[in-house]
Amino acid sequence: MKKIAVFVLVSLLLCTGLFAQGTKEDATAAGGKTTIKWAVWDIAATTYYQPLIDAYEARNPNVKIEMLDLGSADFMTMLQTQLSGGDSTIDVVAIKDIPGYNNLVKRNLLMSLNDKVKSEGIDLSLYGGVPEALTVNENLYGLPFRNDFWVVFYNKDLFDRAGVSYPTNDMTFDEYDALARKMTSGSGANKVYGAHYHIWRSAVQLFGILDGKHTIVDGEYGFLKPYYERVLAQQRDGIVQDYATLKTSSTHYSGVFYNNSVAMMNMGSWFIPTVIKEIAAGKTEVKNWGIVKYPHAPGVAPGTTLGTITSLGVSNASKKKDAAFDFVKFVCGSEGAQIVAATGTSPALVNDQVANVIASLPGFPTDPASKEALHTAKSYIEMPLHEKAGEIEIVLNQVHDEIMTNNISVDAGIAKMNDQIKKILAQ
Amino acid sequence: MASNKTALKEQLVAYSFIAPNFIGFAVFTLVPIIFAFVLAFLHWDGANPIRWAGLSNFIALFDDDQFKAALKNTIVYTGGTVPLTLVGSLLLAVILNKKIRGRNFFRTVSFFPYVASLVAVAAVWNMMFNPTKGPVNMMLHSLGFKNVPGWAADRHWAMPTVIFFSVWKYVGYYMIIYLAGLQSISAELYEAADLDGANGWQKFISITIPQLSATTFFVLVMLTIQCFKVYDIVYMITQGGPGTATLVLVYDIYNKAFISWRLGSASAVAMVLFLLVMTVTLIQFKGEQRLR
Repeated sequence: MKKIAVFVLVSLLLCTGLFAQGTKEDATAAGGKTTIKWAVWDIAATTYYQPLIDAYEARNPNVKIEMLDLGSADFMTMLQTQLSGGDSTIDVVAIKDIPGYNNLVKRNLLMSLNDKVKSEGIDLSLYGGVPEALTVNENLYGLPFRNDFWVVFYNKDLFDRAGVSYPTNDMTFDEYDALARKMTSGSGANKVYGAHYHIWRSAVQLFGILDGKHTIVDGEYGFLKPYYERVLAQQRDGIVQDYATLKTSSTHYSGVFYNNSVAMMNMGSWFIPTVIKEIAAGKTEVKNWGIVKYPHAPGVAPGTTLGTITSLGVSNASKKKDAAFDFVKFVCGSEGAQIVAATGTSPALVNDQVANVIASLPGFPTDPASKEALHTAKSYIEMPLHEKAGEIEIVLNQVHDEIMTNNISVDAGIAKMNDQIKKILAQ
Repeated sequence: MASNKTALKEQLVAYSFIAPNFIGFAVFTLVPIIFAFVLAFLHWDGANPIRWAGLSNFIALFDDDQFKAALKNTIVYTGGTVPLTLVGSLLLAVILNKKIRGRNFFRTVSFFPYVASLVAVAAVWNMMFNPTKGPVNMMLHSLGFKNVPGWAADRHWAMPTVIFFSVWKYVGYYMIIYLAGLQSISAELYEAADLDGANGWQKFISITIPQLSATTFFVLVMLTIQCFKVYDIVYMITQGGPGTATLVLVYDIYNKAFISWRLGSASAVAMVLFLLVMTVTLIQFKGEQRLR
């Protein structure tokens, strides 16, 4: 009996030893190649991952890039859990947003890229101020990969039908409002809304930060008042669809644009490749469309907009940091940017060449204004790096919801934000 | 000595049978529960070194607007959902226990919301109760109502909407439990009451309700725990909004743990929830014993 027990124990130990050995082997080399694992989201829906990998592997035959899809909805939580758990098999990580970046940095899960940037001579000025926004205690932990900036999408056919001239690349908020009111017509099934605000707080609240005088983590939110009042007035006058209706019916912003029911819509540039694809597939009623720069406050340069930064970093636990950084450098560099642009997506590195790649895509609007709209003057990050970003965001979302559903007045809502966020900041 | 050895062997055999289940329970349930309990007294963001917090996580809750709103809403939700579901399922069971035509059809219809996918039925509900385009409000309009409720989009109506939905969803399940209870009541009791000339109401009050007390107790405990733990329904119908109008404790725990990454505070809220559930259950236990 005893002997059997000893035998079972020993063989179990041997087995675990064997497997442990096996995984270690796998990690360092597969068929003589260095394998780099890249944590990403939504492989099926994202068109540029594979072309980037193919191009890199063609130049570096000894490297194999493997993707690890952690899903889209909870990507940052999944990634953080995985890395916190000591997973050393992930080498390169895509970082979806700034709060997520901040969380990874705070937990010391990313490698500082300062030395690499210096030794490889990477020119950070090409990224239009984004690296500064990603710098924590003088350390940069990620290279900007994508910069999805906000523009105004508009439906050319609706403007033609109404005999109204198209929006321009230099619109103040007043002009935008007037144009939206002019474009509103009809009722019932034929109703055309002049503008459309998706239910995200960023679609309304963040107009307020474009003057560069305020940020969304200030703890003082009086500056949002004119923007909320304007949007609520549009809602009351039927210029835009009602927030409560959109929320309870889970209406997606793409649907209302596709079915010709909105003339203009402020949305991120990530929507460009989607529109192109859906129109090409014949799935939409909208046929002719264009983009123009975001509306701006008086005195602010046209082309000032909001940006969502996706960056790439190297995991601190990776055993192949040099190889991993080399891949990051390629993806975030000029060649990578052109590959990303070829799928209609805006890379973080935008120069004339990259803008030309997007503008010459089949299906991209041919008018010069749309091409010009791809050049931003200044892009403010939707949520700046802040230790309490997550908590602040919860309150901002809740109060936005209350204001937009008319459950609270704008003044009371702003007072609530001030009160609750000051408390969070003081903790 | 020999018999001792046999007894020990028998015990070992017994433990070895329990072991697979117990190890699973210990690793995936017991240890995390103990860890969560300890976590309530610590500061931790999931990666950086853990710091001792003492009672500060609990003290901070007194000044936490999110927690206070969530606690109030959870109590209101439970206070609304439990009695309505209890009465609803009992009445439904009593009616569907009678030999009426189409009884099985109506039993199935009542049970259907419980088995239907929450995501699907919540989407349908949201469409039906859409404040501007929903058929419910259109009907109310056509009936001449001027100020129709904003349902899930209105601060005052959001909680009743969630409660209403929950009652509709749960009632079928508890009806089945009540039906089982009803069928175990001896027919002789009703026959004796008939001989004494009792009417239907008297029979219901003096026989059905007391005979069902064990079932009612079970339903009460299960329902209360279920209501205190609600998250999915709120997520699907209102996402905790408008503002914090339907923010519940589990929602707050999620926000604190995985949005703010304050795992200590989240565990403190979880502890409060645990104590709340335990207190209410103990009171119910005592009450049930007294009734007997």
